[in-house]
Amino acid sequence: MIQFSGVEKRYGGYLALRGIDGEVARSEVVVLCGPSGSGKSTLIRTVNRLEAIDKGTIKVEGVDVRDECQNRLRARIGFVFQQFNLFPHISALRNVTLAPVLLGKWPKREARERALHLLNRVGLGSLADRYPSQLSGGQQQRVAIARALAMEPPVMLFDEPTSALDPEMVGEVLAVMKGLARDGMTMVCVTHEMGFAREVADKVWFMAEGKVLERASPTEFFTAPSHPRTRNFLAAIRAA
Amino acid sequence: MIDILSRFGTSLLIGQFPHGPLGGIALTVVMSAVALLCAFPFAVGVAMARTSPIAAVRRLAAVYVYFVRGVPLLLLIFWAYFVVPLVTGVGTSATVTVICALVAYEGAYLGEAIRGALEALPRGQVEASRSLGLGYWSTSTYVVLPQVLVSCLPSMVNQFIILVKDTSLASLVGVHELTFSANQINAQLLTQPLEVYALLAAAYFVLCFALSRLSQFLESKIARIRSGSTGSAAVVAIAEAI
Repeated sequence: MIQFSGVEKRYGGYLALRGIDGEVARSEVVVLCGPSGSGKSTLIRTVNRLEAIDKGTIKVEGVDVRDECQNRLRARIGFVFQQFNLFPHISALRNVTLAPVLLGKWPKREARERALHLLNRVGLGSLADRYPSQLSGGQQQRVAIARALAMEPPVMLFDEPTSALDPEMVGEVLAVMKGLARDGMTMVCVTHEMGFAREVADKVWFMAEGKVLERASPTEFFTAPSHPRTRNFLAAIRAA
Repeated sequence: MIDILSRFGTSLLIGQFPHGPLGGIALTVVMSAVALLCAFPFAVGVAMARTSPIAAVRRLAAVYVYFVRGVPLLLLIFWAYFVVPLVTGVGTSATVTVICALVAYEGAYLGEAIRGALEALPRGQVEASRSLGLGYWSTSTYVVLPQVLVSCLPSMVNQFIILVKDTSLASLVGVHELTFSANQINAQLLTQPLEVYALLAAAYFVLCFALSRLSQFLESKIARIRSGSTGSAAVVAIAEAI
């Protein structure tokens, strides 16, 4: 589904990604974790070309991301941001319908119904006509997930989707993500929610200093990490 | 003052219309409205060019803005009035040339005000829109500008008010607008400049004050809609259109 080979990204003199290889299979849930500054967010942002890469290739469904029209590529990759980034000037419903209507994916008269269906799926059908400022953080993030799903992407990328939330709202967003995973969505999640990783992930990738140091199943990752950096990281988050 | 108004009221209001050309307050309002309606989309274009992803477009817009900001408006008006017909060979009315100069001038200032708001919009808004597969133009039209134009409404109104007052410079190239009418009346009366110019000041004040109030009304309407308490359907439609 997504293949990285030799991906490098530099910001000025700083090498943010130092040769990333790896593959995310269809319907697989990969959790990217690691200390801050390790390149996790940068890596998923390269997949939909929010960041350009300097070396290597990234293929999504077999097509090199640089060979495809940028907008078409992005339309088939759902992206969920840490800060939600809902459009504050339109209602939750219109946040969901905007792109599929403009891009001709949904006929205008069916848009409301289809958006309501998606909002119901994230448990927010009754709040469809509210503006983002009238929603809690957790609700906003769920709208943002519905908005990304509206383009019916085969892949969803999550960039620390619960890091900006109050603790009591983390659960509702994770529940939606678990539902997606159950439905067979291919997902790459940058997250510090180790409970989510343990429960939902098929693979955990541990990153540090722009490299993937370890790739393991959650059980292996949490019980028998092979890399010393992983052991340090796990000890640090357990102590917290 | 009352007798000035009763003698010259009509001429202050509409000039010699309908027996001659439109003048007075009416012409000032028409010039302001036309200049404003042309300057606004032009300024949006300037602001977008100033923040364009294409470097050449950015540079061109910057040259334009620096040039216009660097010369007095009066000079632009003289230029448009004397030089443009000479160069192009097409003579246009003084009113039209002044409007063109005003649009060129306001385009730079208003454009910079809008650019400021464009750059203040959190980057995540554009990223979210582009991540959905929307292109540059859709993103600008449906995501960026509706937010930006509301957030810079106060500074836009500021520029619009300046524009209304700047139409007074048209009197210097013989456009029979409000200031020109007041000058004429003063020349006839000779003894009452204080009263005549007080009337002139009052007229400009009323125009500008009305514009301020209109923008306050719009701002509070939009704020109310976006905070969710329901306004009338028409207002919602307006807010979503801008």
